[in-house]
Amino acid sequence: MPSARASAPVTKKRPEPSVQRSSPPAGASRGAAARWTARFARNLLWAAPLTVLVWVLITPFYNRFLAASAESFVRLTEHPAQTRLDLREGQYAVASRRDFGTRARDITRGRVTDCHFNLLLLGSLFLAVPKLTLSQRFGNLGWALLIAMFFHILLLSLLVKFTYATQMGDYSLAHYGPFARNAYGLLTQLMDLPFKFALPLILWTVFYLRRVPRAA
Amino acid sequence: MIRRAMATAQESPSGWRQYRQEIAFLAIFLLVLGGGFTVLSINWVNDHLVEPFTGAIATASAGVLNLLGQGIIQTGTVLTGSRFAVNIRNGCNGVEALIIFVAAVLAFPATWRSRFIGLALGTIAIQIINLIRVVALFLTGAYVPKLFESSHTVIWQSIVILCAVLLWIYWANRYAVRPGERTGDQEAA
Repeated sequence: MPSARASAPVTKKRPEPSVQRSSPPAGASRGAAARWTARFARNLLWAAPLTVLVWVLITPFYNRFLAASAESFVRLTEHPAQTRLDLREGQYAVASRRDFGTRARDITRGRVTDCHFNLLLLGSLFLAVPKLTLSQRFGNLGWALLIAMFFHILLLSLLVKFTYATQMGDYSLAHYGPFARNAYGLLTQLMDLPFKFALPLILWTVFYLRRVPRAA
Repeated sequence: MIRRAMATAQESPSGWRQYRQEIAFLAIFLLVLGGGFTVLSINWVNDHLVEPFTGAIATASAGVLNLLGQGIIQTGTVLTGSRFAVNIRNGCNGVEALIIFVAAVLAFPATWRSRFIGLALGTIAIQIINLIRVVALFLTGAYVPKLFESSHTVIWQSIVILCAVLLWIYWANRYAVRPGERTGDQEAA
């Protein structure tokens, strides 16, 4: 049955998504494609140092924010909620629980700075895209940073659970079964290596894949 | 009327269909990425492929460092100099960046010929960049040890992956050809 929308006179073409508006047309000339890439590479020369500078400045605060957020997230999975996540030397995550007694436990691979250094790539790639308005550039970067932040909280939380499940000898064996230990091991491995490294590219392609011009 | 509506829909896909290109790219990219790292985690692959490959990288790095007068003694994947020693392990052999690059090349719409060109040139380029990284890290450890940790985990990992992404973008607009399209060279051949 034809819908009302289908039978309405089509007088105006549907607008393209904003990310496509100023994209080079498919099959752009080789020169235009090369210029786009050259401009992207040139923009990286200012985008990368700027990103590094901002990242270095926000890292102490972001580390604290991530530790607090991951603590809340891990506590959601506990009943009763027990984990306390603190920072040693401002960047190493240390967990303590009442059932650890008085001990605190360093989180394996728990250098919080390592969880979020992919922001360097993310910021550089998003800022370097040529021919964008300021609002497009920073709007898209903002969305990407928000998604990355959730990823970082999840990664740090997984590292905490991974440590509980696999790195604490008798405690791990007593509280986690073989399936849980393997699942946390696999998930942590995937999140901490391929997805942490690839996240900037994944997010970049979501916003800008159509902008990559092809010389053909 | 229905036909007209269908024609309109074909001209300008709506809903998720307008993002079909991105969805297809991400699906293939994540599949190859996950598959690649799963294969890497198999012990046999690690022992018979990754370790010898890492050993070859250690040999090449030792060669370059010796050219720079470092007097390196290589034992397997361990490079020992008079001021510093380093063990090249998984994560330092460029394989992660390579898998990300391979996944991106395979996921991008292109002919198989242009993909093979991209994979061949990209592999060589990424390994050259990684060689520079290992040499630079060794020299950092030897002469500015305070900076080694940050250089190792943050700076050089970012640089290597950024280079892989740049190579992919370069390939995508220099060599990638939509399936069904032909370049002048191909037509001439």
